[in-house]
Amino acid sequence: MDKKYEDSIHRTGRIGIIIGIILMLGIPAVISSVYDVWPESAAQVITAGSGLLAVFIPTCIAEVFSYTPILGSSAYITFLTGNVMNLKVPVVVNAQIMSDTASGTEEGDAVATIGVAVSSIVTTLIIAGGVLLLVPLRPILTSPTVQTATTYLLPALFGGIFLSFVNNDCGDYVAKGKPLTMILPLLVVFGVNAVFPLAGMEGFVVLICMVLTVLCAVVLYKAGIIKMTPKEKKKKA
Amino acid sequence: MTFNEIMNSPLLYGLVGLGIAYIILFCLITLKKAYKHALELGITREKLKLVITSSAIYSVVPSISIVIGLFSLASVLGVPWSWFRLSVVGSVTYELMAADMVATGTGYESVAALNAAGDASVVGTVMFVMSICIMGGLIAILLFGKRIQMGLTKARSKHGELGALITGVLSLAIIEAFLPMQLMKGKVHLAVVFTSCIIVLIHLQIIKRFKCLWLRNFVMANTLLLGMASSLVWIRILG
Repeated sequence: MDKKYEDSIHRTGRIGIIIGIILMLGIPAVISSVYDVWPESAAQVITAGSGLLAVFIPTCIAEVFSYTPILGSSAYITFLTGNVMNLKVPVVVNAQIMSDTASGTEEGDAVATIGVAVSSIVTTLIIAGGVLLLVPLRPILTSPTVQTATTYLLPALFGGIFLSFVNNDCGDYVAKGKPLTMILPLLVVFGVNAVFPLAGMEGFVVLICMVLTVLCAVVLYKAGIIKMTPKEKKKKA
Repeated sequence: MTFNEIMNSPLLYGLVGLGIAYIILFCLITLKKAYKHALELGITREKLKLVITSSAIYSVVPSISIVIGLFSLASVLGVPWSWFRLSVVGSVTYELMAADMVATGTGYESVAALNAAGDASVVGTVMFVMSICIMGGLIAILLFGKRIQMGLTKARSKHGELGALITGVLSLAIIEAFLPMQLMKGKVHLAVVFTSCIIVLIHLQIIKRFKCLWLRNFVMANTLLLGMASSLVWIRILG
């Protein structure tokens, strides 16, 4: 990867995150000072948040390790603006399909960042629009029909993007048999989820699936089942 | 002042407005850098236009579901703080859970009970706890983001075609983790997944047969919308 761009995009991302953290703590600090509503003590904050911290610290960290390999440089905006699974990951997948680029390549990383930045701007503007139109929109968007439909956002999403994942594309290579790496992890998740519901542990499950998929890929490649062909060679052939 | 008055105060609106403006600015700066770099890498403007329009169109439907969440959150936490929390890091589920845990931690039955009681003294605690408890991901990306990406780039270049294969299969983990969980949630979930799959196939056939490339921009958005709408039919059929 271009070292200058890599340093610059990560520096921008890190500064962006630091300012985001300052805002997240600064706004409560200003409100607490102006209205004199500071928490009684740090212990009160820790006590009230201990349950959340116990759940969310490992979950959030697992998400970073699970999704950053897919998101690349767009991870900074993604984690600052949230909605990783229902918005940003599909946007990354879609952006790479639209531009014929692959995950893990420099080109794939650049288009993923473009897609996620655009998506975050659109979402921010739509939420702002929702705030402005709170009164007229509330009856429509809180109707039982709309509320029921939105609870099925994730199955609709995964049914929609599933086919995008079943391909032999691997950056500069065509990896014939690549979808075979999905079989074992899929069976494991099906099996484990049947006896031990995995809901709420998605970040960890993604991480375990990554390890399993890589192991399957290495075994299938060494066994000669997955065959890698450089794209240039393939074109000439 | 009561809890509700502070949580809907003009000052909080102003601060949140600044925060939102910052988020947009940060996105624009990153977008500019990535766009310039994509052109340097030889990706055509046409392809980038396609990426931008399809990302924007796709984002509309999930964003509307966030607005629906805003309505439920705003009724207990006020409009501006809910607006900020849903624009920065948070999700409706987390925010409601966090607010509720703070309320019970400070002696109330729920966040709705806290709101109804109007106890302004816990405003600071609610806001700080909601912010601090979701920061794990931000701190982790700050510390490890560059290292993770550099490690992958190194693996890809060092191990040749095997490196390309290893980094190329990582994204499959998303489908492997989430698809079985969605399929196993019930008959309606299963039907919605298959409906969405079929909708994508229909789109791809239309694009191929009638060469209407413009439709590629709408595949994801249409699939999401029609897939979600199909749930209403499936509920009636499957119960």
